[in-house]
Amino acid sequence: MNLKTSILDYIDDVKSGSYTVEEFISATIQRIKNIDGDIHAYLSLNDSAIADARIIDKKIAAGEQVGTCYGFPISIKDNICITGTKTTCASKILENFVAPYTATVVNRLQNEDAVITGKTNLDEFAMGLTTEFSAYGPTKNPWNLKYVPGGSSGGSAASVAADECLASLGSDTGGSVRNPASFCSVVGLKPTYGLISRYGLISYANSIEQIGPMTKTVKDCGFLLNIIAGQDSNDDTTIDNKQSDYLKNIEDGIDEKRVGIIKEMTTDGLSPEVSAATKDAIQDFEKLGANCEEISLPTIPYTVAAYYTITSTEAGSNLARYDNIRYGYDLDSEGYEYNSYISKARAQFGPEVTRRIILGGFVPSAGHAGKYFLKALKVKSKLISEVNNAFEKFDFLISPTAPVQPFQFGEKIDDPVTLMLLDYNTVTANLTGKPAISVPYRIVGGLPIGMQIMGNNMNERSLLQAAYALETKTELPEVPL
Amino acid sequence: MTKIGLEIHCQLTKLESKLFCSCKANYREFEPNHNICPVCMGLPGSLPRLNQKAVESATSISMALSCKTPEKIAFFRKNYFYPDLPKNFQITQLNVYGDMSVGGEGYIDVEGKKIKIRRVQLEEDPGRLIYEGESERTKITLVDYNRAGTPLVEIVTDPDFENPRQVRIFLNILSDLLENLGVTEPGLEGAMRADGNVSIEGGNKVEIKNIGSFHDLEKALHFEITRQQSLSERDIEISQETRHWDDRRKITVSSRSKEEDQDYRYFLENDIPWVRISQETRDSLKKDLPESISSKKERFVEKFDIASQVADILASDKYYSDLFENAHSDSDAKDIANLITTDLMGLVDTKEKREESKLTSQHLSDLITAINDKTLTRTSSKTALQEIVKSGKSVKELLTEMDLSQVSDSSEIEGIIIQVFEEEKQAVLDTKKNPETVNYLVGKVMQKTKGKADPTKTLELIKSKLG
Amino acid sequence: MVSEEEIIKVAKLMKIDLVDHVEHVNRIKKMLEYFDILDQIDLSSEDITSQEKMLSELRKDEFIPNNKKLIKSLKNFREHYVRAPKMN
Repeated sequence: MNLKTSILDYIDDVKSGSYTVEEFISATIQRIKNIDGDIHAYLSLNDSAIADARIIDKKIAAGEQVGTCYGFPISIKDNICITGTKTTCASKILENFVAPYTATVVNRLQNEDAVITGKTNLDEFAMGLTTEFSAYGPTKNPWNLKYVPGGSSGGSAASVAADECLASLGSDTGGSVRNPASFCSVVGLKPTYGLISRYGLISYANSIEQIGPMTKTVKDCGFLLNIIAGQDSNDDTTIDNKQSDYLKNIEDGIDEKRVGIIKEMTTDGLSPEVSAATKDAIQDFEKLGANCEEISLPTIPYTVAAYYTITSTEAGSNLARYDNIRYGYDLDSEGYEYNSYISKARAQFGPEVTRRIILGGFVPSAGHAGKYFLKALKVKSKLISEVNNAFEKFDFLISPTAPVQPFQFGEKIDDPVTLMLLDYNTVTANLTGKPAISVPYRIVGGLPIGMQIMGNNMNERSLLQAAYALETKTELPEVPL
Repeated sequence: MTKIGLEIHCQLTKLESKLFCSCKANYREFEPNHNICPVCMGLPGSLPRLNQKAVESATSISMALSCKTPEKIAFFRKNYFYPDLPKNFQITQLNVYGDMSVGGEGYIDVEGKKIKIRRVQLEEDPGRLIYEGESERTKITLVDYNRAGTPLVEIVTDPDFENPRQVRIFLNILSDLLENLGVTEPGLEGAMRADGNVSIEGGNKVEIKNIGSFHDLEKALHFEITRQQSLSERDIEISQETRHWDDRRKITVSSRSKEEDQDYRYFLENDIPWVRISQETRDSLKKDLPESISSKKERFVEKFDIASQVADILASDKYYSDLFENAHSDSDAKDIANLITTDLMGLVDTKEKREESKLTSQHLSDLITAINDKTLTRTSSKTALQEIVKSGKSVKELLTEMDLSQVSDSSEIEGIIIQVFEEEKQAVLDTKKNPETVNYLVGKVMQKTKGKADPTKTLELIKSKLG
Repeated sequence: MVSEEEIIKVAKLMKIDLVDHVEHVNRIKKMLEYFDILDQIDLSSEDITSQEKMLSELRKDEFIPNNKKLIKSLKNFREHYVRAPKMN
């Protein structure tokens, strides 16, 4: 029994009786015990994981109906609510918050008999790119423990890469699934805005964020999407995906497909290793039969500024509810006046969240909205038209997911602008609402590089076909853990 | 020249659920914090789900106020911190990207003057703060979120009112209109609230908030006008500010420090898509609007020849007009109308009395039939009404039980007349001299028969007896 | 150029006590300076758009009672009230 397996292979093995669900889950839990002290991917574990596994084994033995997941282990980013579990968003301000309800995506997984292994680490309230902003300590990159795993879904990516589970659900606001997927060499998808319910996802920037599956293989990603995607009556922003089957025809290939190479994301600012990998990836696409051509999207250089302006505005509003009055952590209000109490309570926010909230009060304020927030909204509109036009000419748009490989802890955290620019290649998909996937492509110097493919709205099926095709061209070493 | 504008908040108490979740819209029967859910509590990860009927009701209100209604509506966040706001922002409407609130540019006619309605918008009510403890020092604040998320329609007028009296009339017309539409129950405590703004002689506008009832509003307006006038007399400039109504001291107080630094950072509520209300849907809503009060009144007067004042009372009160419409036939409409607006009114003039009343339209119809058949006198019918409201017994039952049947037998009446003539010898002589005073004798007969004698017959018989 | 006073004023509006003044203010200034790039792009012809839904697709008006124990799992005070600090 090998923990370095995929969901689909695991399900085959369990169905064929190679091992039981309990055996695999126990081994997974053991693996977590062995290595998570070093990696710190998890913030909390599910104590009843093995008991849940036993129940599924009983169903299998009795010949009863079993959910399509057959008990495969999955971790969940700790900004997604599960009833009865601490859901902290890696913040001190939600230290004792126990969710009284379960997110739709987790409900759907549990209904199909997936086993939740635990909640994973993130940058506080999903604001960050390296998981260094977690109030509970960073997660380490399983490829090299001195290096960052990316963020904000760093814990999710690391848990999958280190075989502490077979998949994870992260969230992606500006690249927070794709960036750590690229840094940890796993598959990470940000779906079309509205494909996956956000009910139970603790909001950071609700107009552009999505929950995204993180898996070892592209097919696993399709499998997970089949379970969690689709309209939800609890989320008015979800769209009917007409029960699409994301695994169907996934091996069809990309012969004759038109692939656009985004000029602004593939020229300046890339490290030499990423640049070289990108050139090779383009050649791989051509070998697969696609027609590749460069395309310029002149609005791209303005997207990072627009992104941070919009998201800090939304964050400032979405995080206003954390005043410690209805829920939060222990701080007695006796003797305090209202304003001083809530300001003291909100001092529990970490430094990055504090800064974003202040920015979020500034850029939409009466005297400044015209210069910042309204302009950012218009950049968003302009970008949408530009990218829609691009999709008239192309089926997919590609670029490297991140302009650089993973770097060491503390290396980038002091310069806010350098940090922001790590999102340069990823925010476009969020601002336009279009789906984008990061596929592990290469390991150089022991550190991962991922390639990003973007598709048009609700075209996840063809996007996965392209990702699968690229995946067939990659041969990657195993993680050294 | 005094100018007054109003901001009226009306709860849609007739809806089943809150604006963004399925908790009950009318929160009044619940224990504190027992009408809540993750959505209206703004728990992390919760999302609002817009109530279809709330949009329809708000659109109907806009139409009843002669407003324009847009093709698309949007919601915005108004961001500020307060303990009664679970999310520390309120989801409301604004006309920022064009006209996107449920209605605008309407009016209500107040004694010939058009009071313009600037805007009608849909928004959520916050929770309620309760203060416990006597002294300022030991007061604690308790919050009940049962009301948080209750659907509110805010109606904003232009500063078209010239005096508080016009305001009072307007608010009565508006309450009746909204009740007639079937969207709210103005009698419920807190269902309708209003804030106002006042300016005099073209000076600065002062907003007055925190007014608990329409009654307090009138007081507040009077106070504020007087305050501004006295400042003006002393040549002191009236500052543009927000004041709140202090109900204990019955004065308006400056809220300067609270309001001035406020910046609501309005932006779109992206968890709620823009809602398209097609022309077809709007036409259908318009068609389904219940008949307006003025239209009812006109119809009552023209079709049934009912007196204008009577028609007014019937049309403006949904309770009466419903009773009337279900009771009358073409021939007895006028009688039913009169019965309601004279004898019945005193018996059912409060909410409690109406809730306890057992009277139905059938009762009214039966009563009028009995009166017209002369099996019951008008006088007796008053007694009958009282009993019906109390017990709900049918007219038929009452006629036998209470011995209310009209006495129309001539010999019986004659017998009584002889008695009266015996007892009132002087009156008889007076009447022979002066026939105008005959009603005194009629009255005496009615007294003796406890109102049951047929008055027409009685008069006839007395006259013939007098010779 | 954004002044330190303005940033502190906004922090107060957002109910944030700025303890590490200098570091935060400097970083925020840097980020705002970066946002100046937005002045360089022509946005004159852009409109704001959004997702849309038809009225008929909205939630039906039904009362569905919720878990009565919700308040017990949150911070509550005597007889289920939530206790807020003293208002000024």
